[in-house]
Amino acid sequence: MNAPLVQVNALWVRFGPVDAVRGIDLSVPAGTATALLGRNGAGKSTTMRVLAGVIPPTGGVVTVDGKDIRDDTLGVKRVIGYCPDVGGLVPRATPWEHLQLAARLRRLDHGWEERAREMLERFDLGAATHRVTSGFSHGMGRRMSVILAAFHRPRVLLLDEPFDGVDPLGVEATMEVIADARAEGSAVLVSTHLRELAVEACQDAIVLRGGQAVAALPAHEMAGEAGAGAYRALLD
Amino acid sequence: MPTALSSTDTTPGPARPGIGDVLRGWRAETRRAVGDVGPLLRFRSSGVRGRSRTTLILALAFLLAFTVIACWLPAYLPEGDERRSDVLLLLPSAYIGVLVISMISAAASGGGRELLPRDQGVAYPVSPTTDHLGALLMAPLNIAWIVQSWTLLGASAYVVGPRWTLPLALLPVFLWLFAATAIAQALAWFVEWVRRGAFGVLTVRLLTIFMGLVLAILIVTDELVPLLDESPTLTVALGLLYGSEAQMLPWLRVVLGIAAVGLVAVVGGALTAGAVVRRPPRDELREETSSRPPRANPASDLVALLRTDRAAIWRSVPLRRGLAVLALLPGLVALAGGLDWVMLSILPGLVASGGALLFGVNSWCLDGRGALWRDSLPVNPRLAFTSRVMVLTEVLLVVTALTLLMGALRAGPPTTSRVVAVVTCAVVVTVQVVATSLRWSVRSPYAVDMRSARATPAPPVVMVGYSARLALSTTLTGMVFGGATFAPWQWSVMVAIPFLLFSSYKLVGTAGAWALPAVRSRVVAVVAS
Repeated sequence: MNAPLVQVNALWVRFGPVDAVRGIDLSVPAGTATALLGRNGAGKSTTMRVLAGVIPPTGGVVTVDGKDIRDDTLGVKRVIGYCPDVGGLVPRATPWEHLQLAARLRRLDHGWEERAREMLERFDLGAATHRVTSGFSHGMGRRMSVILAAFHRPRVLLLDEPFDGVDPLGVEATMEVIADARAEGSAVLVSTHLRELAVEACQDAIVLRGGQAVAALPAHEMAGEAGAGAYRALLD
Repeated sequence: MPTALSSTDTTPGPARPGIGDVLRGWRAETRRAVGDVGPLLRFRSSGVRGRSRTTLILALAFLLAFTVIACWLPAYLPEGDERRSDVLLLLPSAYIGVLVISMISAAASGGGRELLPRDQGVAYPVSPTTDHLGALLMAPLNIAWIVQSWTLLGASAYVVGPRWTLPLALLPVFLWLFAATAIAQALAWFVEWVRRGAFGVLTVRLLTIFMGLVLAILIVTDELVPLLDESPTLTVALGLLYGSEAQMLPWLRVVLGIAAVGLVAVVGGALTAGAVVRRPPRDELREETSSRPPRANPASDLVALLRTDRAAIWRSVPLRRGLAVLALLPGLVALAGGLDWVMLSILPGLVASGGALLFGVNSWCLDGRGALWRDSLPVNPRLAFTSRVMVLTEVLLVVTALTLLMGALRAGPPTTSRVVAVVTCAVVVTVQVVATSLRWSVRSPYAVDMRSARATPAPPVVMVGYSARLALSTTLTGMVFGGATFAPWQWSVMVAIPFLLFSSYKLVGTAGAWALPAVRSRVVAVVAS
């Protein structure tokens, strides 16, 4: 098995009196995709935000591509691509300006534009490339967020609710992005409450409840009606 | 068995409602709309908890106490030679002033403040009448309105003097404050209605230019003061005098007249607000759907960040409109009043404070829900902070420069010491306001949808506190530099140094706080929520 690119041990995140994440362990090896499943408020997005370097952990050890998130947050941000659960787009900037900003800060070599254009077309956003994103629909925003997370071929791809409100073509394009990332040796973490899509996109699944991991199992065990029953049982 | 009508049959249309039905329906709708204001106010205030609630109660108590003092204390001030009659002569113009300030404030913000933010309000059946009444209630939560009202009440009380009839005399003034606010709100809705129509933006711009020209002609021909002397607000001043002399019948006539005008304005505003919601906001929609030609890739990280931060301001219709008003209005006032160089030194503080209150006091809210993504990018947080500082500073300096250029036209001959004093004052208050605004942005972020012209970067009550503190500190600084206009120019530079050092110290401290992951994550999580 490949070495894990994402390694989380006893992650704890506290917001004032609320413990949002309570001792989660997980690892995602290179070339694999893992789904984070659970109800609203289970701690999925908080875990993703910690891995993206947006929220500092209260306790535990988190390493991404061998870098400790506390000691080298900037280094972690250089190797990840993150699609946040809400919005994720600056309202007055165009998709192309988002891409230019990210390409500059990530020091992408000349030629990134071709891949960016190809991804915009794949996600059916070619015609909206130079429109400000405040006029985007929810689905368009989600699709653009996936592009921003993936266009620079990150070592670790973090997709938080990438399928939420997205049409079937957008879902298909997102599935392709996940498959491509795995094929290129990246580690992919997908947070979603859409079980069937998680099963299709990932080979491993971790179910969170109340800020804790209550199960870690192969994703195919969550497929079909039997999987739905098992998943349902884990949520209560 | 019923069959479909043939083409030659006459279609029985729906029964047309009679005038009685229409009136009954209108009354029921109005009652419902008025009834909705209370629950919405409670919903809005329920978000203020703990220490904030205590602060809010204290602030409201202070406002109330100061209003009582403004109504009472000036009456006991020494009379002086003819001073009371001098103030009386100015009162009708001052009464017009509160109307103008209220109207500009409401029109610039696309119809006044929202009782419920647009993104929260979409789920509820809030009628335009409720929205209008909410905007009316929120209108006094504006430091310009509050200060002007206190000044009016104080000046009116001074004219009346220490008599038992003081409350009677001040009643027409209170009613005028209500009527002026209602008229301003109705006019603001009308301006917004025109703006949303075909060629609306052009029409409003032409109308503004026309009014500016009329004002300029009145000033040049010395007709402004005679015109103000004929102002209808003379009636309010008469009401004040009738009240002070206890002439009950004419006093009552004035009181009822002003109240009627206010009520008509409230109803007219509600009707116009209803017409506004039936028109889409064209310029905002155009901004959101138009294409932006791509530019070359940024040459450095700072340039990339600056571009994004500048776009957030200059591509926002409400912010552009607010900045234009800020750049032009104080300049026009300075032109109209022929302010001298000493008074000009007060303007940079007002303009910079106004600019900061448009967005600067909650700078990160401009990223909206993109804040999470932006914070996941690999860039030194101090560089991102520097970009915010630079953009806010340049925006404030641009609007301040325009104001000063206009004001300088009639300020008298420019000497080196005057020019240096006013320019250093502009730089000092701008840095002062930037340092304070960014400190507040980091300490107290708020989630705000700034797409709406009617949104404020912080809750309205908080905005009153912010504007009062900014106005106080920048006015005091302006007064220091006003004094420096009489001294050699080197004095202005010497005085500026400690101010700039203190503001820089504040900025460095805030940059340090922003660089802390725990602080930054809190700000980002709040503005992106």
